[in-house]
Amino acid sequence: MLKLIVQRLLALVPLLFIVSVLTFSFTSLLPSDPVDLIIGDAGTQQQYEMVRERLGLNEPVHLRYLQWLGRAVQGDLGSSFFNSVSVMGAVMQRLPVTLSLTAMSALIAILIGVAAGVAAALRPRSWVDRFATLGATFGQAVPNFWFGLILVAIFAVNLRWFPATGFTPLTESPWEWLRSVILPSIALGTSSSAAIARQVRSAMVGVLQQDYIRAARAQGLPFRRVIFRHALTNALVPVVAVLSFQITVLLGGALIVEQVFAINGLGTLAIAAVRQQDIPMLQGLVLVMVGLVVTVQLATDILYGLLNPKARPS
Amino acid sequence: MTSKPDTLSPAGPVRARSRLNGAHIVTSVAAAVLVLLAFLAVFADWVAPYDPLRQSLMEALQGPSAAHWLGTDDLGRDVLSRLIHGCRIAVIAAAEATTIAVLLGVPIGLFIGYRGGVWDWIVMRIVEAVVSIPGIMVAIAIIAILGAGLHRAMIALGILFSTSFLRLARGVVLAEREEVYVRSARVIGASDRRILMRHIFPNIAPPLIVQVTLTVGAVLLAEAGLSFIGLGVQPPQASWGTMLNTAAAFMDFNWFLSVPPGIAIILTVLSVNLLGDVLRDSIGRGIAVETRPETPAARFAAAPGAAEPVVLPRRADEVLRVENLQVMVPAPGGEVPVITDLSFSIARGETLGLVGESGSGKTLTGLAILGLLGAGVRATHGAILLNGQDLRALSPRQIEQVRGNEVAMVFQDPTTSLNPAFTVGSQIAEVLRVKQGLNRAQAWARAVELIDRVGIPRPEERARAYPHELSGGMAQRIAIARALSCNPSLLIADEPTTALDVTVQQEILDLFRDLQAEFGMAILFVTHDLAVAADICDRISVMYAGEMVEMAGVDALFADPRHPYTAGLLHAMPHASDRMPPLPTIRGNVPRPGDWPSGCRFSDRCDFRVAACDARIPLLGRERLVRCIRAGELELEAAS
Amino acid sequence: MTDKPLIEITDLEVTYWGRSLMGIGGKPFHAVRGANLSIRAGETLGLVGESGSGKSSIANAVLGLVTASGGSIRFGDAELTAMRTRYPPAIRSQIQAVFQDPYSSLNPSMTVEAIVTEPLHVHTSMDRAARRARAIELLKLVSLSEEHLDRHPHQFSGGQRQRIAIAAALALQPKLIVLDEPVSALDVSTQNQIINLLYERRAEFGIAYLMIAHDLALVHHISDRIAVMYLGHIVEEGPSDRVYHAPAHPYTRALLDAVPLLDPAAQRRRRAARKFAPAPDAPRLSATGCPYQNRCPHVMPRCRAEMPPAFAIAGGGTAACFLHAPDAGPAPETARLSGQPACKEPAAP
Repeated sequence: MLKLIVQRLLALVPLLFIVSVLTFSFTSLLPSDPVDLIIGDAGTQQQYEMVRERLGLNEPVHLRYLQWLGRAVQGDLGSSFFNSVSVMGAVMQRLPVTLSLTAMSALIAILIGVAAGVAAALRPRSWVDRFATLGATFGQAVPNFWFGLILVAIFAVNLRWFPATGFTPLTESPWEWLRSVILPSIALGTSSSAAIARQVRSAMVGVLQQDYIRAARAQGLPFRRVIFRHALTNALVPVVAVLSFQITVLLGGALIVEQVFAINGLGTLAIAAVRQQDIPMLQGLVLVMVGLVVTVQLATDILYGLLNPKARPS
Repeated sequence: MTSKPDTLSPAGPVRARSRLNGAHIVTSVAAAVLVLLAFLAVFADWVAPYDPLRQSLMEALQGPSAAHWLGTDDLGRDVLSRLIHGCRIAVIAAAEATTIAVLLGVPIGLFIGYRGGVWDWIVMRIVEAVVSIPGIMVAIAIIAILGAGLHRAMIALGILFSTSFLRLARGVVLAEREEVYVRSARVIGASDRRILMRHIFPNIAPPLIVQVTLTVGAVLLAEAGLSFIGLGVQPPQASWGTMLNTAAAFMDFNWFLSVPPGIAIILTVLSVNLLGDVLRDSIGRGIAVETRPETPAARFAAAPGAAEPVVLPRRADEVLRVENLQVMVPAPGGEVPVITDLSFSIARGETLGLVGESGSGKTLTGLAILGLLGAGVRATHGAILLNGQDLRALSPRQIEQVRGNEVAMVFQDPTTSLNPAFTVGSQIAEVLRVKQGLNRAQAWARAVELIDRVGIPRPEERARAYPHELSGGMAQRIAIARALSCNPSLLIADEPTTALDVTVQQEILDLFRDLQAEFGMAILFVTHDLAVAADICDRISVMYAGEMVEMAGVDALFADPRHPYTAGLLHAMPHASDRMPPLPTIRGNVPRPGDWPSGCRFSDRCDFRVAACDARIPLLGRERLVRCIRAGELELEAAS
Repeated sequence: MTDKPLIEITDLEVTYWGRSLMGIGGKPFHAVRGANLSIRAGETLGLVGESGSGKSSIANAVLGLVTASGGSIRFGDAELTAMRTRYPPAIRSQIQAVFQDPYSSLNPSMTVEAIVTEPLHVHTSMDRAARRARAIELLKLVSLSEEHLDRHPHQFSGGQRQRIAIAAALALQPKLIVLDEPVSALDVSTQNQIINLLYERRAEFGIAYLMIAHDLALVHHISDRIAVMYLGHIVEEGPSDRVYHAPAHPYTRALLDAVPLLDPAAQRRRRAARKFAPAPDAPRLSATGCPYQNRCPHVMPRCRAEMPPAFAIAGGGTAACFLHAPDAGPAPETARLSGQPACKEPAAP
């Protein structure tokens, strides 16, 4: 198992290198000069040179990359062009918000997705299957932010069960935290639960036709045991493989759903950064998100190895 | 030799037909929605009742009315007109982004997939890097460089979605490259270009079309999302996303504003996705779903009147007795029989061979005994008596008790009949715990004992191995140990040596004999190989097209085959004769279930056919059974 | 037949490299370890072995589907290993193949006409009508007909698909066809139809076959010579009848004896006479010496120390076994344990 983890960590090296190069090259791909953005139209030539010097833009590209990388590794992602706050600080301040949404919606998506997928696979073409399949097709067609709007209209504005907007940190009040994330998480998790349900169903239908399932039943093992121990363990293998992708999708979706619920998370930060062409902030956001995704990938890889002995290096 | 289990699956056509109506309606509706969308996009200027940009603050935020069917927005603009003009944006957005994605992704994917090597490595690492950033963030980052706006946002989405086309094209090429027909093309001498274009590309088209529909749906959702957060289409231009943006701001005053654009998005995406699903199903590389027949079971017309009388003499210490078994499988327009009037018995310590080619029904016989025929396939007649108890009369719970304890099965391919996720020892121990109530430690100890008993050295170490870590022969020994763990009185062995090398086959056959001497179980040995049957069986029952054509003691059968099919099969065996070609053959092919001749099912391949063969032929005899009206004559002929 | 071989394989080695993490390194797997074979024009060589013996690797090396890591394959005057996998058209058109699984060897998206005429398209300048006419001729050669031209492979049975594959292989009138387990996926009752077909076309066109199979009895029917492989080595080679009736290498004998006889009484006698059973997990390969040493009933100290060279065998051919070294005593019991199966010829209709 340790060998698998080491192997996966090693495989991350080229990935992180390419992400860092892509992220860094942002500055040079930008059509406008970042220095102009900072000093504005009124800036003098002298100010221009000063800022340019301060940003280190006069040095050769590869040196700038290495310096930038060196600082990034130490957690220093520079400061915002716009208001000079520390990028790391700003991102870290918003991170728990987006993370709450992503984690809660992932939980919802996995629970609903696996349950619906298994139920559908057990009785192909039954009403359970039809209902689940129809629901999954529908769920994947609904824009998450629109679903959020509707949820707000029903459960917050009309029924007043949940707050319509805002976010309460978990540390402040777990109950209020739950109330504040539940609607956005449902809005966000629905389409992923649909995708997962489809995955689980097709994997499960495939596994149920395998010889080892017939063999387990021929051995007289109870039906439930065969389904939940023998079949599900194997059906989850391909599902786990796409799980990290689904969580990436949820993380991206959170950026938009946040806007519906006026939640001050990474999404708001990102949209502001694009409008202001705040390059360090965007770079920081990308790096932090990649960090999150890579962590999730590592976790799912390990889970994959646990479920699938063949994936373990011998 | 690889012989597939002869569970022919006419289930496929049934499913296709029964789904046709439902699928047809869905497809028509989805297609109609998309045609309407395209129509509105082209003729928006004429169809829309108002100018989508004309403001009228006097009429702001009105509900639906005769003048404004869907009401007005915050600036008094007509929602219906904006919705219709939004169709145009949707079509442009989907077309632009999808085209960019295909044109960028497919050629690169084809190239790196076919070439491989360093380019493949580099491109795939870049793709992995891009994919590890949430899609919306990638789009946001590209928009930061290009600026906001419909076309720029669509370029961003095109680049983003090109990764999925790239991976699809590469994946298909990698899979196709290993296909035998691509190897054949290389042997023929076709150039790389021709192989790619003529042999591989046609097979990429179906998944590509499906991916296009998926992408169109995803682009529409992403465009709406980007416009919603203000990075896509810019106001005052009317897109569904910007309309939702407006609606969000006025949720408290007029929630209805959010409904029309939302429904429009859902309907469009749903239609595209449904079309994609239907396409995927009709292309049909998907997993075939087991089905129950939709139409009520049609009676088997070819079986006239009552079942034929059982000629089986009762014997002492009979373990299994099967009488007049009939099994039907679903087929277009009802059901067709795959096994008819099958009767046989096996005594304690005896091995009965069930020999036949693909489609003879021999594998289904084994599964029918266990009650594991699979959905749609059912035993319609007959009795299956195991130790005097009719298994067909038992409830599912009761037969679960019988399985494992009284009857167990060994399958053809040991590497797929053991669960890949668990160690082999735990799979044997599990049976002992569940069926015999042993505790964890006892079960493990007994499992190790059994592994030792089936001739595997270092059993404790091997018990901790996973199935893929064992050779085929070793894995089959484990499967046998598991089957015998509860000391069943009947063991069904379904082609247990077919997937193994011939020297390993010999060892496994010896093991069966050895274990039978010790445990005394009856064995039903299913095989297509007469030589294997000659080695292991006491009696042999030859199956052809769902019925028994001959049954005899092993020595009698090989010395003097009475049925022309048995004789033909025997002479066709590779080591039956020493001569140069032409080798003896049986002409024609095994008929598929449903295509059986109405009289003797072998008649159209038989050299001895007479007019009387067109009637139903009964199974006759006492010690030896033969289903051939000329068996007596032919025997004389052969002797003379 | 001339004495100059059509194809001559000398010291052939095929090695596969396992991919490791970064695509560098990995462990080599030696599929073929120094094989020597030759086939004369119009001759059939049967190449027999169990799974993992390397027989298909030899086929792939001859077909240019894998690159040999050592040794040479001479085809006429050309050195095939030097061309790696890029044979010039003149050579490609002379070496064709029929593969094992008739369900995957035909492209599902192509019609029978497209499949059968593909070689003509690549190698000749025939127009469409001429190609179609030739396709009809070819289908007739394999007992199919014009009506089958526009169908797709999934509409045919396994035996018919294999006929289509043979028709395509015959299209360019090659000098050599590699048959990689051509009947092992078929029902017993249709196997012989294909064997007979192959035999008839060989006589008609003077094609040489390299026929790969796991069943010695099967190749014996059609081969002039037989070579037996074990773990990458050719352990025995010789005239078909000699190898089948008087196997010299203990492995060849084990292979023959493992197939049960069709006479149950004789089979029981043979079983009783069988004394030696190797441990089921005997290591497959040792670092030095004979590849068969761990499973051989006649193993001698010498077999563990050095690799036996190919010794000449009375009756033709060679065997890589010290039992047949000129300085060894009389070889123990080289004949098969019991005679041919007592099985009557089919009764005449």
